[in-house]
Amino acid sequence: MHRLYIVPTMIINVVIVLVPALLTVVLAFCNWDGISAPTFAGLDNFRALAADRVFWSSLGNNFVWTFVFLTVPIIMGLAAASMLLIVRRGSNFFQIVYFLPVVIATAITARVWQGMIYSPVTGVFGVLKRYGMPVPNPLTQPPLALFGVATVDLWHWWGFLCVIFFAALRQVPQEQIEAARLEGATYFQMMRYVLLPGIRPTITLMMIMTVIWSFLAFDFVYIMTQGGPAFSSELLSTLAYRKAFYDLNVGQAAAAALVISLFGLVGTFFYVRIQTREGEQ
Amino acid sequence: MQRRTILKAGLGLASLPLLPRLAYSADQKPVAFWYESASPENQDNLETLLVDPFNAAHPEELLSIDFRGSDLDKQLRVAMLSGTGPDVVFTAGPSYVAAMAQAGQLLSLDDYAKKYGWNERLLPLFLDLGRYQGKLYALAKTYETLGLFYNKTLFAKNNWKAPTTIAELEALADEMKGKGLVPFGAGNADWRPANEWHVSIAMNSIAGPETVHKALTGAIQWTDPAFVAAIDKLAEWWDKGYYGDNYFSLTSEQAFAQIATGQAGMAPTGTWSFTNVKPYFPDNNAEPGFVGFPSASGDPIFPLGIGSTLSVNAKSENPDGAAAVLDYMFQDDFYTKMNSAWQGEWNLPLADLSKVQLSDKVLPLYTEAMKELSAAVGAGKYGYTTWTFLPPATDTYLVSGMEEVWLKKTSSADFLKKLDDTFKQEKDAGKVPAIPARA
Repeated sequence: MHRLYIVPTMIINVVIVLVPALLTVVLAFCNWDGISAPTFAGLDNFRALAADRVFWSSLGNNFVWTFVFLTVPIIMGLAAASMLLIVRRGSNFFQIVYFLPVVIATAITARVWQGMIYSPVTGVFGVLKRYGMPVPNPLTQPPLALFGVATVDLWHWWGFLCVIFFAALRQVPQEQIEAARLEGATYFQMMRYVLLPGIRPTITLMMIMTVIWSFLAFDFVYIMTQGGPAFSSELLSTLAYRKAFYDLNVGQAAAAALVISLFGLVGTFFYVRIQTREGEQ
Repeated sequence: MQRRTILKAGLGLASLPLLPRLAYSADQKPVAFWYESASPENQDNLETLLVDPFNAAHPEELLSIDFRGSDLDKQLRVAMLSGTGPDVVFTAGPSYVAAMAQAGQLLSLDDYAKKYGWNERLLPLFLDLGRYQGKLYALAKTYETLGLFYNKTLFAKNNWKAPTTIAELEALADEMKGKGLVPFGAGNADWRPANEWHVSIAMNSIAGPETVHKALTGAIQWTDPAFVAAIDKLAEWWDKGYYGDNYFSLTSEQAFAQIATGQAGMAPTGTWSFTNVKPYFPDNNAEPGFVGFPSASGDPIFPLGIGSTLSVNAKSENPDGAAAVLDYMFQDDFYTKMNSAWQGEWNLPLADLSKVQLSDKVLPLYTEAMKELSAAVGAGKYGYTTWTFLPPATDTYLVSGMEEVWLKKTSSADFLKKLDDTFKQEKDAGKVPAIPARA
């Protein structure tokens, strides 16, 4: 009888998650323009993607994006969270300051950076140029465009990690921290031997989620560069969007979406395994 | 008692969405029209110049406009696929019409064309562009062209005259560069497809409209040396700095403003930019100029573009009402009033503009440009914009592919090879819009 309790969530999941997911899998093997009736295409969509150099450069960009988000915001978040733990004065204020960018709408953050910081006409970069310090707009330089967008997403994102890590650090037994202090541990020793081992499950979870989220990254790139210039900041998600809504090639878009899901599945597998292990312990 | 009050209030609130339905009088049939984004001022223009007078003239119909934003085409596709959507269908151009007509989502307009006399009232070319497999499915809502805007005041000060040949254009651009001006005020920060304005210009002005027509009909390939020369020329202009340092940073409005302020000399853009004349030129005490883009031969070329089309939904419960709305729009009176209030978006392809008298407030330059374009189209001497005549995937590749050529990530020949491959695939799939024969 108690199994009936899961029926409402199961219905929602089937309708909202399972049916569209299965449709995406089916469409990956079809030719469909999103308007007329789909026709079966076998593996043609995957072959076309494999032959498309933009697909490979987008996949590469997704790996770069994942690497950046696995390192920079996690290091920044950990460093700031540990400082908040050690220096308690003003920690609430700094938590709010760090967390503020997270609650600003993505579109607003992106437009503010694009128009008020990066723009050579209306932004801070324009002011610097007028004072004889020309800094190129990273969004317009193919080698820098992806990093230009990632910087904005990092600014928006790292505060979230900081707050999560700070909450986890506060769960580390106070006596361990005190003992380390009494033993004369330095900041780095404290981090290495007490704090990081104490919040390892949280860090692991955040890293796995970062991998999954990195392959889903879309909004900042779409708003700021739409994958350009010259495909230099294209990610798999923006590629799939372009294929579906501009090229009217929903089949290839679904195939690209399946590749994205593949990386999500790998992340989910590790997440479930770790959760199971912890449950057993 | 309190519970009953809450119940009544709840029922009242729940019935709010039904109110518009109840508001229709028994014999009024609703006509829904989904429109893309429009400024508040232009939303008012649509209400006062279309909705109110149409409803007053047709008491049996009740037209309403729903502003759906810039994602209208995506919303429309989903709605039409599920058998719903508005009665009056607004598409982003002929390539969308072909796919929708193929899927049976649009109603054939041939009977309405006969009933209302559209075949005589509209320029024949635009009726041809709205046909799919011999049947009329769409009427062009607005047509536009590309050309060269310039600052007449700046030109007079420097004794420059508007160029007519490519050689003159290049000589002038070099002189402007020498004076520290950006020759072309251009940017794509807000609209990446702005790249294709330049590709359309080069293909028509350098390769020539006849060559483009041959490629569109499959008589020659896009890898033809004439197109290689055109793309090479665009790359050369980029390398010489004609587009300035900030092409990818400037919005099209910011770029256009540069010619009013005298920072840039000319702006290769389309007739939609007339909207930006009023906000920038008078404030800078400058007078705008507009000419057809220079060409190899010296005759100005007007590449023809269709910004959007109007159709009737095949699943409409009130197709007669939707057709009546179309008929109301394609009249001298509506053309006059709408174009007097809102230039650039309602250039309806009426065959005879002799009765059209735009308001004194409308820039004479705009009226002249539109008359010149109408005459060029009437005489069959027009070019082809890529967004109107190329199928969707070919067109989107062109936008990013041109950036790759400019940024030296690919060569002109390789870019055109991929463009040609994509075009062939889409041509085989029947996705190329109708290409009328040249006069």
